Amino acid sequence: MSDEIAYATIRGLGARYRKRELSPVEVTRALLARIEKLDPTLHAFVTLTADRALADARAAEEALRRGDARPLLGIPVAHKDIYLTRGIRTTGGSALLADWIPEEDATCVRRWQEAGTVLLGKLITHEFAFGIQFPGHRFQPARNPWNLEHIPGGSSSGSGAALATGLVAGATGSDTGGSIRGPAAFCGIVGLKPTYGRVSRAGVLTLSWTLDHTGPMARTVEDCAYLLQAMAGHDPADPASSQAPVGDYLTPLRRDLRGVRIGVPRAYFFEGVDGEVTDAFEAALGTLRGLGAEVRDVEIPSMHAAPSFLLILMAEAFAYHERDIREHPELYGDVLRERILAGALVTAAEYTQAQRIRARICHETADALTTVDVLATPTTPKPATPFKVAYDPELAFPRSNMAPFNLTGLPTLALPCGFSSSGLPLSLQLSGRAFEEATVLGVGHAFEQVTSWHTRRPPLAH
Amino acid sequence: MSDPRELTIEELRARMRAAGVTITENRLAMVRKLLGDALVAVRALDSRDVKTLEPAVRFAPERPA
Repeated sequence: MSDEIAYATIRGLGARYRKRELSPVEVTRALLARIEKLDPTLHAFVTLTADRALADARAAEEALRRGDARPLLGIPVAHKDIYLTRGIRTTGGSALLADWIPEEDATCVRRWQEAGTVLLGKLITHEFAFGIQFPGHRFQPARNPWNLEHIPGGSSSGSGAALATGLVAGATGSDTGGSIRGPAAFCGIVGLKPTYGRVSRAGVLTLSWTLDHTGPMARTVEDCAYLLQAMAGHDPADPASSQAPVGDYLTPLRRDLRGVRIGVPRAYFFEGVDGEVTDAFEAALGTLRGLGAEVRDVEIPSMHAAPSFLLILMAEAFAYHERDIREHPELYGDVLRERILAGALVTAAEYTQAQRIRARICHETADALTTVDVLATPTTPKPATPFKVAYDPELAFPRSNMAPFNLTGLPTLALPCGFSSSGLPLSLQLSGRAFEEATVLGVGHAFEQVTSWHTRRPPLAH
Repeated sequence: MSDPRELTIEELRARMRAAGVTITENRLAMVRKLLGDALVAVRALDSRDVKTLEPAVRFAPERPA
């Protein structure tokens, strides 16, 4: 199978389907063969649904023959394994749920199915979206296709690895403290954490009710826009779901950046950042200026308090897991167990104060976004972490440039903006006002059109 | 003299007893760092100075069209 097909865009695949140059069945068979060849090394998939994929592909072919114009028709996708799939096991990357077969689909799974996608399978996630699988775990962690000795990021680790290796054209992710954007950054792909409430979380395993977001991951900004279009919208089954109307995410992608104001919050986001990450980020700002954007520094004074987000995450995670972890602690992986139990040590007063700090960060960020249209930062302070570092039992929770935008709930995109000297991807993070996904995607798309970082392929893919 | 805002190992053990949870001995340092780092900003906050700051978070999910 050629790279051309494995790395085809959603628009490109759709165009070739409609010209009869390719068929969904042909692409599905080719991707299943590619998965069979590469996944024993990569470990991106936890469950492969070959029969289902071929059935979906045949249905898509029939629909194409009838002239069906849905843009996701016949597009091969896979779901992070915390999205419930009816009749297909959903493990959460956990021994606790290793054999669980749900009776319902998550709303996002159903919406992508209704959009005509082809389901290739389920993608490994960090255990319950919070802890990497240590050696000896029931499930193996995914590896980074750019360097197998490094992690692909988490928790949507399989999604990032599969996309970077050309095994799927789109994937779901979830993001509580950066779990869409981190794997996107470490794997050299694109991930969008939409506004809190924009995409349903119904039928997705919970980590932290007030921080969890669901969203799309893909290889290009435009592909993310197509996938978001099919998953966004009100869902009465998610209590946090917004009733705000869904906009058009594709048309604004053609905009240039004249008149766009980009703010750079220098405090907090550049502490402990590698020099080559800073260099790549500054070069990206130069590119954005070259496209006509006005770039200026902005201040968010309380951002230094963002690490308190962990109090919220841990307390809510413990609340969710309390019964299972007290009754079956042996079914939780090392480190994850302690991370969750640490939530029991957060007092009610501390949780409340952390929410007050969060409110202040939300207000200040909203204020900053009255003077600029988008905030830009490096997505991560460093490129992908080696496994040997990630497996250090004393490693706590790394400082995050992504978690602040889980606190604020604002739409935030991660996209490739360079490579480290060791050949690992680097990433630009763009965040906008609530429900202005189109603005964030528009800036990202314009950047992508004049750069080639997203077109590089990892060694494992060849 | 230790910083009063720092989470000590004794305090960590007291919290474990109060919560009725056991954390593996070789993970105590990790949990202490995890919780300690997260508490820095909260312990620096004097709630009497910011009385009007409510914990409510608004994401404007009901924003009018």
